[in-house]
Amino acid sequence: MAIQMRVTQQSVAARVMTGLQGNLNRLGDLQERLSSGTMISRPSDSPTGTVSAMQFRSEMRAATQYARNADDGLGWLNTAEGALGSMSTQLNRARDLALQGMSSGAGGSTEAREALAVEVDHIRESLIGLANTRYLDRPVFGGTTPGDVAYDPSGAYVGDAGQVNRTIGDGTKVRVDVTGPEAFGSGPEQLFTVLASLAQNLRRGDSASLGADLDNLDGGMSTIRSQLADVGARANRVTNMRQTAEDRLLTLKSQLSDVEGIDLPDTIMQIKLQEVAYQAALGASARVVQPSLIDFLR
Amino acid sequence: MSSSFSGISGALSALHAARRGLDTAGQNIANANTEGYTRQRVNLQAVGGQTIPALFATDSGTSGGVTVRGIDRLRNDFLEARARAEHTQSANLDAKRQVYARIEDVFAEPSDTAVQSQLSEFWAGWDDVANKPGDGGARTQLIQRGSVVADGLRAAHEGLSSQWRTIRTQSDAYARDVNDSAAAVAQLNQTIMRAQAAGVPVNELADERDLHLLKLAELVGATATPRPDGTVDVLLDGSALVSGGRARAIEVAGAAALADETANPVQVRWVDTQAAVTPGGTISAMTETLGDILPTYAKGLDDVAAKLAALVNAQHSIGYAVDGGTGRAFFTGTTAATIGVAVTERQLAIASSAGTLDGSNADKLSELGRRTDGPDALYRQVVVGLGVAALATDRRAEIQAAVTANVDAARSAEAGVNLDEEMVGLLGHQRAFEAASRVLTTIDGMLDTLINRTGLVGR
Repeated sequence: MAIQMRVTQQSVAARVMTGLQGNLNRLGDLQERLSSGTMISRPSDSPTGTVSAMQFRSEMRAATQYARNADDGLGWLNTAEGALGSMSTQLNRARDLALQGMSSGAGGSTEAREALAVEVDHIRESLIGLANTRYLDRPVFGGTTPGDVAYDPSGAYVGDAGQVNRTIGDGTKVRVDVTGPEAFGSGPEQLFTVLASLAQNLRRGDSASLGADLDNLDGGMSTIRSQLADVGARANRVTNMRQTAEDRLLTLKSQLSDVEGIDLPDTIMQIKLQEVAYQAALGASARVVQPSLIDFLR
Repeated sequence: MSSSFSGISGALSALHAARRGLDTAGQNIANANTEGYTRQRVNLQAVGGQTIPALFATDSGTSGGVTVRGIDRLRNDFLEARARAEHTQSANLDAKRQVYARIEDVFAEPSDTAVQSQLSEFWAGWDDVANKPGDGGARTQLIQRGSVVADGLRAAHEGLSSQWRTIRTQSDAYARDVNDSAAAVAQLNQTIMRAQAAGVPVNELADERDLHLLKLAELVGATATPRPDGTVDVLLDGSALVSGGRARAIEVAGAAALADETANPVQVRWVDTQAAVTPGGTISAMTETLGDILPTYAKGLDDVAAKLAALVNAQHSIGYAVDGGTGRAFFTGTTAATIGVAVTERQLAIASSAGTLDGSNADKLSELGRRTDGPDALYRQVVVGLGVAALATDRRAEIQAAVTANVDAARSAEAGVNLDEEMVGLLGHQRAFEAASRVLTTIDGMLDTLINRTGLVGR
């Protein structure tokens, strides 16, 4: 500060104007913060805060997407679980029929065996229908097939071995499908082949072959049950991850508002203080600028 | 012996002097708020008697009265020079501050709509497509989001280019301003030189010239050197811009668009010799903006666009689209000004193998956004660099503004009109006038006695 030998009306006025401008500027800044609700409206307000805010925003978008992916994955898993569950129930009935056929053996009437065989055929058709269950137009047991079905009406697998994965967290992928061969076996032990052979042997009354069919059926049922458990476990994991993504979203929101948002009471306090300062400055200026020697000369 | 009437002429000179004093005070008061006006003061000198002894004429030495030696212009040249230097700095930083503020407006971060958010939406769009590879809606949405990112980068680049053009035009206008002011200074130099030779007061002309000198300092950082004949030489980067009554001119030459800047950099040069000039002040801020600041951020955007196109295209080209095609690039162009989406929704390479509804390639594409060397990180670096530079310029400009305000206050304290002082001056001159009148009356009475009442004895 230079030592002032002289003070002139102009220099006083200039200094008063500078002071008032500064006051009004600060008041304007605070008003802007209060009305926009954010501390950072441009990068220079806080360069590091800006980068944090940008990063939080993109992480929030990612977390939202993880939750969406998880929702979609849950849809797949729940559909597969439902289908596998009802298949398991129907297979129990098929097993009962097989046992009936075995106990009556070749001695039962042709009509009675035919009736058993027809029911098994129906169960087989119903199971093929369930194996073609679709989620959003995609067969959930068909891998990544672009076709509409996983199994053709004869019970042959027409899907592929591709896996359907969902990203539900940073670097966390969960498989959300079960391919047909995994759930229903392949080759001679494939569930639909077994059921076809069961119906055939029931018609024939071939007890020995029925025993082998029953073993195969039991094997198939146990595979489905273990797949059910697997699907359930995966669904559970996806649900947990979705919760994690949603919790993360909340955390990120509060972090973003910590960086970017204003502290309302604090800002209002500051505005009040600034208003008082501004009014005081105005009052003081009015007193300093007004008087002059002219007032006191005759 | 002095003449009987010498007192009258002394009193008369006092009346004259008081009148000049009143006039000067009046002029000061009239110009109390005139920009650039320098207060003036009557410089009085007592007139002594004859000091060289002569044979017959001697002098009592006290009756000469007063004479007005001149009207002084109360301005401190050193303060003026300092003010010009500080104003140069201040103008430079203010101009840069404005430029940074405008660049910040172009980037418009942080927000829910600017390029960073557009990129996030784009990456999320790949996830949606990975979830539903067969859904034309999700694919169309992704194409739209890709276009939005490309548009965002192009718009930001265009924002910088249009600013470049605006500032380029502005710098031409400033160069003309400089030339006008230099010509005005040269003209005033001539007028002042002639007026001084003729003994005419030049205070008001000098005030006007000082205003021009300050403007030249602000615009281009010119310095002024006074010469004994009353003229001022103006130097710019070591060469004379104004010398006596002659002024030279500068011009801004070089590229007319941001894209041509590297090949043909913008520079300030003398019109007559075509030699380059290193300016200061506002024009220096302009050339720095045109040659360095705006190209830096334009390049930052280009880098982001190039990175985005390279990463996305590399991953996209190894995937397979629903129409069975592969090896396609997602983006065309590798600069912020030219980037665009090259594929249609059926050409999106979502799958890792042909003929399946597999989403794993799209999934890999969505992960590009989280790479620490990806376009997002690069973009954030550009923005944080901008924030830091803008903040630093802001702070420097604030500090410089305070320094400049102090110097200005010192100047106006030195040269400004203080009304109280003028009132006191008025009072003093008024009283002096009254007293001189009284002296006249007294001498008149004395002479009356001498002339009319002397020698009346016996009448």
